[in-house]
Amino acid sequence: MKRLAGGLVAAAVTLALPALLDDSALAVYILLGLAAMVTVGVSLLMGYAGQVSLGQGAFYAIGAYTAALLTLGGVPPLAGLIAAPLVAAASALVIGTPLLRLRGHHLAFATLAMQLILLSLAGQLEITGGDIGLQAIPQFGIGSWEMSSAVAYAYLTWAGLALVMLATHNVITSRPGRALRALATSETAAASSGIPVGRYKLVVFALSAAFAGLAGGIYCFYTGYVAPGSFPVLISIQYIVMAVVGGLGTIWGAVVGATAVTLLVQALNTVGALPGMPTYAPSVLSYAVYALVLIVVVLFLPHGLLPAITRRLPRTAKR
Amino acid sequence: MSAFLTYLLNGLAVGCAIALIASGLVVIHRVTGVVNFAQGTFAVVAGLCTSSLLGMGLPHGLSEVAAVLAGAVAGLLTGLVAIGRRGTSPLSALIVTLGVGVLAYAVEIVLWGDQPRSAPGLAGSVTIAGARIQTQHLLVICVTAATFVLLALFFGRTYLGKALTACASNPYAARVVGIDTRRMGLLAFALGGLLGGLAGVLITPLRPISFDTDVTLIVNGFAAAVFGALTRPVITLAGALLLGVAETMAAGYGYGSHQLEVALGLMIVVMIVQASRRSTIHQETV
Amino acid sequence: MIDVTDLVVSYGTATALDHVTLSVGQGEMVALLGPNGAGKSTLANTLAGLLAPASGTVRVGGRLALIPEGRQLFPDMSVADNLALGGWRSGRRDPSAVYDLLPRLAELSSRRAGVLSGGEQQMVAFGRAMMSRPEALVVDELSLGLAPNVTADLAAHLAELNREHGLTVLLIEQNARLAFELCRRAYVLESGRLVAEGDSAELAEDPRVASAYLGGAIT
Repeated sequence: MKRLAGGLVAAAVTLALPALLDDSALAVYILLGLAAMVTVGVSLLMGYAGQVSLGQGAFYAIGAYTAALLTLGGVPPLAGLIAAPLVAAASALVIGTPLLRLRGHHLAFATLAMQLILLSLAGQLEITGGDIGLQAIPQFGIGSWEMSSAVAYAYLTWAGLALVMLATHNVITSRPGRALRALATSETAAASSGIPVGRYKLVVFALSAAFAGLAGGIYCFYTGYVAPGSFPVLISIQYIVMAVVGGLGTIWGAVVGATAVTLLVQALNTVGALPGMPTYAPSVLSYAVYALVLIVVVLFLPHGLLPAITRRLPRTAKR
Repeated sequence: MSAFLTYLLNGLAVGCAIALIASGLVVIHRVTGVVNFAQGTFAVVAGLCTSSLLGMGLPHGLSEVAAVLAGAVAGLLTGLVAIGRRGTSPLSALIVTLGVGVLAYAVEIVLWGDQPRSAPGLAGSVTIAGARIQTQHLLVICVTAATFVLLALFFGRTYLGKALTACASNPYAARVVGIDTRRMGLLAFALGGLLGGLAGVLITPLRPISFDTDVTLIVNGFAAAVFGALTRPVITLAGALLLGVAETMAAGYGYGSHQLEVALGLMIVVMIVQASRRSTIHQETV
Repeated sequence: MIDVTDLVVSYGTATALDHVTLSVGQGEMVALLGPNGAGKSTLANTLAGLLAPASGTVRVGGRLALIPEGRQLFPDMSVADNLALGGWRSGRRDPSAVYDLLPRLAELSSRRAGVLSGGEQQMVAFGRAMMSRPEALVVDELSLGLAPNVTADLAAHLAELNREHGLTVLLIEQNARLAFELCRRAYVLESGRLVAEGDSAELAEDPRVASAYLGGAIT
């Protein structure tokens, strides 16, 4: 009950925020929301399927490019936005079907490989605009109504995140979800219990890709521009840091993690841009902080920030 | 024909460098079960050190040795963070090595800046059977061959090497016999660092190294190591050589910008083939 | 020689050994009986220093070696290498004494441990444990998966070492008949607790022990 109340408060506050923020703050809001969408998927994948995706940014990019290419080709933006997660999920199925059976590091590197290959191809093919990318992507809209203000995109992002969280909640509380959770330690035990663990893991992987794809789709409409440079390998590492920091396998953990890291990065950028700081200061600071946060959390706070915080809150007496 | 032979020989040199990185991955993985994402970082650290030391006036030979040792130290430090704490699962350790690799970026940029650096190696070229091969490439091949022989002797003939193999083969039995598996794991990391460092020192004269070169190196190294299922050194060597030759051929015959795709494509194909051959139970007990 | 007092060992929240007290005097050969999951291997690992007690004490008055359950050799290494590694703790790498004790191992010395028969592997595990010249030996499931005559052969070696050289032995077994034959004293462990202890002959008559482990009293 308390968690539901807390969730509703958070939802109300975040829904009210866009009207109050200026454009640059809205940019942070939107990027935070998009990162949270991807992170929920990464957290689900790591917490429930026990797999690491070192290239989740690939699905983000696939979503963005799919929506961009379709819309630039004349398809209505709504269809483009719907196609984005579907194409991303399909790519996940292609790579995940053979590789999810292997140990974690295989999928980890395969996703990284996928991101590198995609970025390289996108940078060379004409259809994707090469290194310059695709520009002048039409605004998102339904029918004749067009979304042109940052506030509207903020609400779209909010809706996307809410959808992602709802879907994840349903997965976690479903029977397959609970089975996956309980059997996360031994696949052999799971296999002998008759539960198709492999198939569930594949669904989780595809779902995480879909979340990233949807975020990518919203991103392309918001910025109106996609290029390989928008999806460096570093963002995949970012998602892992966010997921780990917030606590794996929990919905709110992913959001907390994404918020914490995004705000931290903003702070670092401000510090790094101070007069007197060398030009490389922003990147050095972000690398150092990502790395240290990741290492410290993995080693000392394995359940992430969220459980650490909630454990300190006073508990109401159980009946 | 001589063009083909040239590409082949130079490709073998590239493959040897990849083999050194891959062998570091294999050593660490066999003994600790951890996939070391920072393996490329050891090479970069050593390469940057070589560049600095030579620039400071330290003579050849001494600079390279010092740089390789720096790689070994980097390996040891990575190991301390990744497996130093009891109860760190291999997947957590992989993420930690990822963190170490990113942290290294920060350190490297502060110490060496973000521009690529090079170092002078052996100049000139040699002609073998009508094919031209750079002397530095020949050095790479010879050093790698010697290293692999030494590694084989170390693991197969020395007591310490056998203890390391024991940890890889049956960690429980190793502990029964009194071997400190954690200390052996740290030794494996140091050895991995040494091998990565060696690779870095050998390739810096060939291509400029900067802080983000490690991605190419780790991806190539992992592709070769996957060939040998992360446990078989000889097959890993074969895979690395194959990869090096394929990439050099691709570059030589006009597909230069696709070297990374070659490595990655091969890696994914090999993994998928391996996946279809293995069953889950085998995976878990291995 | 081996003194265990009020030992508690747990895996996370599960208690594997619940306040176990037992002792094996110098030169004694004592058995520990119990079904699967009783905690026998946990005790063996704790005695060998591989597990830390949650509470209680373990005192061993000399060098102790473990012959673990299921042999646990290094399958891709030769018998000679397996033996040599057995000397890791003590620094004694020379297997000649072990070859004297178990001449069959000398014949097998260059064979890969993984291709040997069960009995031969058990002999290698035995030899490996003896490499450190232990004063006490903990043997976990000697008979597991072995034919009776093979087991008898190894058991005879154990008994001889105990008799002639004063080697202290804790024999951990599911096979009660073998245990009572070899050992004058025995403990019975169930679900982490000692449920019976005493003279082997008396325990064999005890109806609970008899029905659980011997399929009826020994007549």
